[in-house]
Amino acid sequence: MFLATKLIEQNARNFAPRLASCHCRKLSTDPHASPEIDNDEEFRVLNLRQVQAQARPKRVIKKDVAAPPRANKMPVDQDWGAVWPGPKTFHPASVPLPLRQGYTEKAAAPPSKYGNAELMKIPNFLHLTPPVIKKQCEALKQFCTPWPKEIPSEEQWNKHFPMEVITTDYCHGLPTIRNPLSRIVTIKFKLSTLKLDKHAHDKFLRLVGERYDPETDVLTIVTDRCPLRKQNYEYAQYLLTALYHESWVTEPWESLKSEADMETYHFIRNKSKVSAEEILNWGKTEGGKKLVAHEAFGKSVENLMNEGENEYNIQAYKTEALKLLGLPSLKSTSP
Amino acid sequence: MTSALFKLRLLPPFRPLLLPPAQQMSMYQPTYIDPIFKKEQQQVLTETGEASNLAHIPIKSARNNDTCSVFHDNTVSKFTNYIMRKGNKILARELLEKTFENVKRIQLERYNLAEGDEKNKIETNPKVILHRAIANSRPILQLTPIKRGGVKYQVPIPITENRSLFLAMNWLIQAAKEKERKVHFPEKLAWELLEAASGQGRVIKRKQDLHRQCEANKAYAHYRWS
Amino acid sequence: MITFIHSYLLLILFLWFQKVSTKIWAHILKFHNFVRSQIWCFGFKSYRKEPITMLVRCLRGVSRRACAQYSTVAEPIQKLDDFRTNEATVANHGLQHLGKYYRIEPEVKKQLFTYGGLPKSFEKQIKTFGETCLMVREPAVEVMHYIKSTDLSRPTVRYVLYGVDGAGKSLTMAHLLHFGLEQGFVLVHVPWVANWFKRPKETASSGSKEGFTDLPFDAASWLVHFKNQNASILPKLDLKVSKDYVWSIRETTPAGSTLLELIEHGIARVKFASDTVEALLHELKQHSTAGRCKTMVAIDGYNALFYPQTRILAENKVVVTPDKITLTKPFLDITKYDWTNGVCILSVDRIALNEERWESELPQYQLGKEGFEHVDPFVPIKVDNYNNKEFHSCINYYLNRRWIQNSAPGFDDELKYLSASNPFKLMNICAPL
Repeated sequence: MFLATKLIEQNARNFAPRLASCHCRKLSTDPHASPEIDNDEEFRVLNLRQVQAQARPKRVIKKDVAAPPRANKMPVDQDWGAVWPGPKTFHPASVPLPLRQGYTEKAAAPPSKYGNAELMKIPNFLHLTPPVIKKQCEALKQFCTPWPKEIPSEEQWNKHFPMEVITTDYCHGLPTIRNPLSRIVTIKFKLSTLKLDKHAHDKFLRLVGERYDPETDVLTIVTDRCPLRKQNYEYAQYLLTALYHESWVTEPWESLKSEADMETYHFIRNKSKVSAEEILNWGKTEGGKKLVAHEAFGKSVENLMNEGENEYNIQAYKTEALKLLGLPSLKSTSP
Repeated sequence: MTSALFKLRLLPPFRPLLLPPAQQMSMYQPTYIDPIFKKEQQQVLTETGEASNLAHIPIKSARNNDTCSVFHDNTVSKFTNYIMRKGNKILARELLEKTFENVKRIQLERYNLAEGDEKNKIETNPKVILHRAIANSRPILQLTPIKRGGVKYQVPIPITENRSLFLAMNWLIQAAKEKERKVHFPEKLAWELLEAASGQGRVIKRKQDLHRQCEANKAYAHYRWS
Repeated sequence: MITFIHSYLLLILFLWFQKVSTKIWAHILKFHNFVRSQIWCFGFKSYRKEPITMLVRCLRGVSRRACAQYSTVAEPIQKLDDFRTNEATVANHGLQHLGKYYRIEPEVKKQLFTYGGLPKSFEKQIKTFGETCLMVREPAVEVMHYIKSTDLSRPTVRYVLYGVDGAGKSLTMAHLLHFGLEQGFVLVHVPWVANWFKRPKETASSGSKEGFTDLPFDAASWLVHFKNQNASILPKLDLKVSKDYVWSIRETTPAGSTLLELIEHGIARVKFASDTVEALLHELKQHSTAGRCKTMVAIDGYNALFYPQTRILAENKVVVTPDKITLTKPFLDITKYDWTNGVCILSVDRIALNEERWESELPQYQLGKEGFEHVDPFVPIKVDNYNNKEFHSCINYYLNRRWIQNSAPGFDDELKYLSASNPFKLMNICAPL
């Protein structure tokens, strides 16, 4: 047994070169070579290597042919609202527009709308075309009331309704229809519409802090601490009332405020006024009528102190000081 | 193949690189020309039409101390560079400016004290004094050691213009540096400049000493070439 | 050659006395220009000092415009004196003299500025130029105008000079001091307050006031300065001390002795110098208010009096603030508005303070709130950089004084850009030229 296998092995080794040549011949396309092989039919060659199986034809996967884009068939006068009724991601086959979008190399046209992710990423407003909006407005009109004649202009409107209340309604796909954000109420109004005196105004501003925008004079109060919108609205109303009345209250300790605690420089409270008036009233007897420092001078000192020093403020101060001291300016007197 | 290219004059004929080492290391190729930064020279170029010839020649960028200021002077700029130590040009310039101021103050005081014709004789322009001082201190010969028969001879040789300028300026600076600790460099330099400009002082003496030595060693002069 | 010039001058003189008409003068001027150019060729190098042109102009006394009209080479004649004015009386300086230099006589300079008052760099220039010349500038003219139109029976007006470094605050003050001297003011001048607080010569704790520090030598040297500046006017006024000043058991200055005696005592007894300064300023204030004299206070670097830092250490090694120094109070008192017949000219300078207060040179920032309240209401006077006219006048002056010797065409423009028309910078930039 052992010997037999060995013999076979030896055979195989001896035949190997021949086999190789035989394959060569099979592969060659020479027409004279094939009859020779046919003639050798009686001598069957031991083929130890696996012969290549005949290649099977590949299975052709049948694909459904995509229908031509329906945009090609759309009539010009179709009802667009029916084609694109609501907000939806862009679809090239439904939009009969030759859109192109995206970046390409220089001097090449942007990619077309087919298979264009750029177009699908951006939000579109194809559902809000003017005729559709018009139609929707027409449908809503039956629920509207006419605009009151008493407030024809926006000024009037602002005058009679100075406060603006902002709330937001949400529409979304959840089991609940209540969005927690819809409880938030924002009220806005111009501070100038409130009647406040100097002290109250100052205190009001301190109380509201950064809710007040000095550039636009608008105060904004946002309330969101109650669970319901109505509660929040009422809380905002309450806050406003409380702020207003609190700002009119003057505490007894406020009179203790010294010069160092002042936020701004006030001419009347400072030594400047004393010295200016002493100079003005120099040499006057006790009984005589006292002069008061010029208001313009006080203003210039206040500007100098509050706005900070600059050439303009100093020149203004100089002019006023010259007036106060009764000195003629150089330019006006000389030729 | 390559020789054919040379023959066809497609490549310039091969030459070994003979540029000085500084130029070999330069960031500019040898084709680059020096910039012309003075307004008057530029004016001349445009008037003569030379500027259009230069239009397509690559030009090196101007250096930091090349300025079109009306006060710019090449000698002063050079002198500043010789004063400079460790690249501290700000200090060098300050020292030279202070020197000029001192020179001017000394000369102006003399000028104000002088009377009549004396006044016009006094030179008060510090730049002119600097130029004069350098011109007066320039040597025309120098000594170089040459070995002949195992003995080193100090042989007088002629000197290039640049070398003599360098020696003159350097001697002035060295003379100004030999001073008391409390005396400031600009003060001393001002004195040296004034003395050298009037043909006296240590720098002039040094030049004369060198010349005398050269004269004494006249006999060795032929060692230069034999 | 010289005889030719002589005969030529004689000819011109002769013509002048004959009062020839202007047309003939035009011809003469033309001829004169020709002659001048010839003389120039012969070797009169400096055209700025032409004897003939000077003579012609002095003799004729006609306006320079007329000269220019008929002269073919009018430029050098105009340049000749353009930057100078002969107006020696400071009080007459007006807008027409702006940008021109006037000369301070050496005696006046000696009296006013021997012990300070002019910046060191300017002193150097004086030595180099061989003359003391100040430019008439707008701030000084403005202040003089105010002083002239002030009713001196009203409270003292305070003028505060301010401006960028090197703009000429101290020289404006010097100009005003000259004015004060001419107008018969008693001068109370502090050349630089910061000297007391930054580098005092000696410090000692005060004998008269508890917790205060004296600067005896500085006070004494100020007394010397005061005495020197008012050497001419004090004997004339003959001011008397109003009360007894008891310095020690043996030393008193009795009421009725002159102010000079008080000063002499302060100088001789350095220990009491600080107190003497206080007494002196107090007396001066009273005399002025009573109308016996008028006083000009000029304090340079005034803002240093309000700056809460000095380099002086007390005995317990604590930094002394200016309000704890005996010299401060009298000078603060004399700059108040509670007296008459006086003028206060104060300058604020950021260099008087430390670097932390160098952000702005404007007066309120420099004085601080306390200082501002002390001098309010004051007249701020801005001392600015040179304007065009002043700049060219200065350049011409420097050319004339040979401070600028290398002048290629366009040099003045370059100097203007380099210095930004700042007087001090201009002077320094021109130094090596």
